[in-house]
Amino acid sequence: MPETGRATLLTPDGISKLIAQVALGDRRAFDDLYVHTSAKLFGVSLRLLKDRHEAEDALQEVFVRIWQRADRYAVSEASAMSWLISIARNHAIDRLRARKPTAAPVDAAVDVPDRRPTPEAEAIAGSERQRIDSCLDLLEDDRAAAVRGAYLDGFSYQELAERFSVPLNTMRTWLRRSLLRLRECLQE
Amino acid sequence: MSDQPVTTGHDDDDALASEFVLGVLEGEERRRCAARVESDPAFARLVTAWEARLGGLDVHYDEAAPPARAKAAIDARLFGAPPAAPRWTLWSSLAFLRGLSIAAVAAVAVLAAVLVNEIATEPVPGTRLVASLAPVDSDAVFVALLEDTGLSVTHIAGARPADRDFELWLIAGEDAPRSLGLVREGAAPERAADFAAQLIEGVTLAVSLEPTGGSPGPGPTGPVVAAGQLKKI
Repeated sequence: MPETGRATLLTPDGISKLIAQVALGDRRAFDDLYVHTSAKLFGVSLRLLKDRHEAEDALQEVFVRIWQRADRYAVSEASAMSWLISIARNHAIDRLRARKPTAAPVDAAVDVPDRRPTPEAEAIAGSERQRIDSCLDLLEDDRAAAVRGAYLDGFSYQELAERFSVPLNTMRTWLRRSLLRLRECLQE
Repeated sequence: MSDQPVTTGHDDDDALASEFVLGVLEGEERRRCAARVESDPAFARLVTAWEARLGGLDVHYDEAAPPARAKAAIDARLFGAPPAAPRWTLWSSLAFLRGLSIAAVAAVAVLAAVLVNEIATEPVPGTRLVASLAPVDSDAVFVALLEDTGLSVTHIAGARPADRDFELWLIAGEDAPRSLGLVREGAAPERAADFAAQLIEGVTLAVSLEPTGGSPGPGPTGPVVAAGQLKKI
């Protein structure tokens, strides 16, 4: 069997190029992009939604958005795969949040000490991205598990608070601090 | 009260962007962030930076092949094709296959076979039989489709020599091959209608390379370049 649908067939550059062609309305490039990225994006939808039927609907919506918004990729600083996966994650999380009545808004006024004023807009190099797992390992186990659970499984603050049996605001403090430490670790 | 306006300080924005990308926000707060990504370039950049940071976790998403119908549904939504119409899917996919600059014709042949199997799982009234004609000592690939409107054959891969024609043959059981006509782009094989009663499940369709205009005799004179069985949908 040929390895259709595997992102590994194309270099990141190749995927960028395809997205650029899609932005110009090139349907063949769109077909090609689908062949090379749909398995990964379906995997993302499936992991987050945990329902094949809904993941299939979500995948359709994701590729419709990719077609419609490809022209915006050019102005984004994101890597090609990261941009595509963000679209898939955002859509899946929107679906997750729409599944049940919205929880009470989390208190926004959580006091998080800030030790890192503003280096910004720097592109995050590829090597840094691979380090995220080792940076997560520096966090307390439950903090790291909460970050992974949020990112990979789409748990909300409310759900994480229930899972880890801590008050909502505690969870928010956990995650905000964890993300700050992650940012520092990744910048080192 | 909980729903205070989000402060606009850079660090608060950065924390908010990180939570938005992580996906933990809900309801109004998430909607507000999504709207800001559209309207506030500075905030959008913070979000992009966090997407890059947390994107390192993307390797933990396992790939999963979506069902074949998903792409057809996407195309239907975007390009207005009739939903789940296998014939349309077939032709657009064939066009796609033909467009591939794949050196390995075997891969195209496999794709064509997969395609035919997919069509077979999504029956539509009017389409009765399909055949994927795989290369025989050649690099030629064809797909045949028998509908209520007749037989059509599409040449997918493998070049036709300038002074030769592809001729389509029906081979039923032990019978000698019978010519259904030449394979021409956009035209049905001219004698296929005469053999409508014999075009049934399980018969073999073969394509041979013949002098221009077709075989001078009753049977094929050139090599058979591709063959496959008609399958029920």
